[in-house]
Amino acid sequence: MAHKNSQKRVKPEDRKKKVIGVVARGCTTRSLIIHLQERQYERDDVCIIGVPCDGYVDGKGLKVKIGGADIVEGTVDGGQLKMKTSDGDKTVALKDVLAECCLTCRFNNPIISDVMIGSPAPAMNPDAEYNDVKEFEAKSIEERWAYFIKEMEKCIRCNACRQACPSCYCPTCFVEQSQPQWVGIGEDKTDTQVFQFMRLYHMVGRCVDCGSCVSVCPMGVDLRKFLKKIDKDCFEMFSNRAGSSMEDMPPLGKYDEHHDKQDFIYNP
Amino acid sequence: MSENSANKEWEPKIVAIVCNWCTYAGADLAGISRIQYPPNVRIIRVPCTGRINPFYIVKALQEGADGVLVSGCHPGECHYISGNLVACRKFAMLKSFLNYIGIEGDRTMFTWVSASEGDRFAQVIRGVTTKVKALGPANKMVKKF
Repeated sequence: MAHKNSQKRVKPEDRKKKVIGVVARGCTTRSLIIHLQERQYERDDVCIIGVPCDGYVDGKGLKVKIGGADIVEGTVDGGQLKMKTSDGDKTVALKDVLAECCLTCRFNNPIISDVMIGSPAPAMNPDAEYNDVKEFEAKSIEERWAYFIKEMEKCIRCNACRQACPSCYCPTCFVEQSQPQWVGIGEDKTDTQVFQFMRLYHMVGRCVDCGSCVSVCPMGVDLRKFLKKIDKDCFEMFSNRAGSSMEDMPPLGKYDEHHDKQDFIYNP
Repeated sequence: MSENSANKEWEPKIVAIVCNWCTYAGADLAGISRIQYPPNVRIIRVPCTGRINPFYIVKALQEGADGVLVSGCHPGECHYISGNLVACRKFAMLKSFLNYIGIEGDRTMFTWVSASEGDRFAQVIRGVTTKVKALGPANKMVKKF
């Protein structure tokens, strides 16, 4: 019977509206804003339950910190993380094991929400946001290239970064497209570089620095160094921070005739 | 082929992706006016620079182009009103990001050439060819076939 009902055609206007509740921390609300700006659903299709965020623990970093032991259970007590592990009880300071993106988070409180839970979280350290990028920019071009290929050589193209990314939702990703075939399917390393480059480039004005891609990467590719550069450029060139407000539309979908920088244009 | 070209000076291969309404017409004018410019450039005509997927540029670099030139109408003169301005933002990001990962900025060039600027078109091609020549053959992100 249930199956029969599911097969029945319902006119769009008779369809019951389903509202989805989302428990969202700061970066999740940024993702939601991007989805709303890209018209993936309407604002009243989601009920946003905002929660302030003190940062997430970086699982890989934690594992290294406790010497590779398996964690059985853990509790947070004050600034300390207490765990029962296969190696006995361990305690680490929470601030030592937070994910990199959380340490320099600028939006740790929800930007939009229908309901807020708890009191606003204290600010993290957003001033240090681009320190990594600035340091990398100062290196010579050959050093930068060497670092890029070194990182991309680790990539096994499992596409975990894409699957985990809240901004990657194209029905057909360019990776799977075969006409034209943007990315070769062999194990050629330039294909991996091109794949990564283009996935990173697709994050212009869309990366919310949630750290999902970094945390799911099985090979530990340093994606954040490149994503942060895109974020920095976007802010410097178009003064846009991805998903920072509903009014600030995606930077590549608009233009500003009088203020867009054109100094990169070649003039013989 | 490599034997023949071994003693010749190396010549760069440059892919120029140009818009139909301005730069392509400008190139046409350069041809009609018999202005000489280096033959290193392979022109691809697209309806508008806004039509160019940044992937075209990355793909061209991967498949062995030593340089990529993108050229469209001057700001405010786009046949489709704002295609070049939207493209301008895309390219600003792309160029900066390519440079960040270590691909020389001079390999990807962006410029505006209008339909009446045959002379400028020849100048641009000369300039780009000289710059790419100075960099030498592309060896980053180039696929070996």
